[in-house]
Amino acid sequence: METNWDIVIVGGGPAGLAAAIYCGRALRKTLVLEKQVFGGQIINADIIENYPGFAEPIVPADLMEQMSKQAQRYGVELENDEVTQIRPENHSWRLDVYDRFFTAKAVVFAAGSVHRFFNVKGEKELLGRGVSICATCDAPFFKDRKVAVLGGGDAAMAEALHLAKFASEVYVIHRRDELRAEKILQDRVFKNPKIKLLWDREILSFQGEQKLEAIELKNKKTAVVESLPFSGAFLAIGTIPNTGLIKDYVDLDDNGYVVTDISLSTKAQGLFVAGEVIKGNRRQVSISVGMGVQAALNCEEYLVSLE
Amino acid sequence: MAEIVSANDKNFDSFMNGVKTLIVDFWAPTCTSCMLMEPGLEKIAASYPEKVNVVKVNVNENPLTSSRFFVRSLPTLLFIKNGLVKSQLVGAVNPSQIEKILIEVQ
Repeated sequence: METNWDIVIVGGGPAGLAAAIYCGRALRKTLVLEKQVFGGQIINADIIENYPGFAEPIVPADLMEQMSKQAQRYGVELENDEVTQIRPENHSWRLDVYDRFFTAKAVVFAAGSVHRFFNVKGEKELLGRGVSICATCDAPFFKDRKVAVLGGGDAAMAEALHLAKFASEVYVIHRRDELRAEKILQDRVFKNPKIKLLWDREILSFQGEQKLEAIELKNKKTAVVESLPFSGAFLAIGTIPNTGLIKDYVDLDDNGYVVTDISLSTKAQGLFVAGEVIKGNRRQVSISVGMGVQAALNCEEYLVSLE
Repeated sequence: MAEIVSANDKNFDSFMNGVKTLIVDFWAPTCTSCMLMEPGLEKIAASYPEKVNVVKVNVNENPLTSSRFFVRSLPTLLFIKNGLVKSQLVGAVNPSQIEKILIEVQ
């Protein structure tokens, strides 16, 4: 495979693929590197109802497959590999992967984010054995069982609604006394007879030997600690940005998000960012797509300035 | 070239005690990540035919095997050597991540 590229895009989610389409159409030799599966985390969602231009709900995997094909149509190469190091070298960028490296005149960094965990006892041990980060993938395992969704945002509500099609009971457990999810999703959750809400709860531990059996919770208002039996616990408490690889070349806030402006440039020449790595991104496919386009256009302007 | 074989509740034990490392891919047709991981698993099976057997278990059709290994998330990959589970990967992974585990369990 070719080593030297005009542009390497790190991340094959909505931001990375949108950038790829524009880079390809600018006739730049473009490579997209994705460490997991092309499409990003959104492919694990059940449906998308708010992506502009589609009156009916769409299947995220279908949308992302179209984006991948659209990028490939303009000559972009998609490669499944994990970038382990990025550094400037000889006025360009070097990107190391597992057993080789690539160089690029410019990089669009759109590596997205990873699921946030509680980091409490039992969580890691029971991941995949009742503790889950994907309701769409795992809901059928919990048919007629009692499950919990931990979180209060859009993702948590979507997971609860999906799980209610399978589970006997779904408890949404949230650390506050109000939800921050879209009102339309809240409304559906409140009206669903299978879904109950537990407010002001702190997660203390996940309990069970070979599989999850209970969640230990603390009521933040009464300080009462209780252990409630659940077969499944679905984590939806946000994400952590994947910015470790570029931390030396960008400004990061206290939570690890890149601080930038509409230029989507960084303090390092030829390094652009897009998508969920950016501070203030509201985690919507449409926003990440727009950012990918913006980053690609600014990247193109930068490459032209070098010529 | 080694191929990925479908295992089921009835024949799963016949794969357990081979000399090679056994990678078990627990999947379902509704799991998008599972589908997208398939080319990577095919690559692994083709690259290490002497060392690795890869089998797929459809969890919807084979609940006994899924329960036996307490699998409740997809995709899940189990790495079995000499009849014992040596390692487990939960969630979508790429071939490089699978190769790293293969080296560890050899």
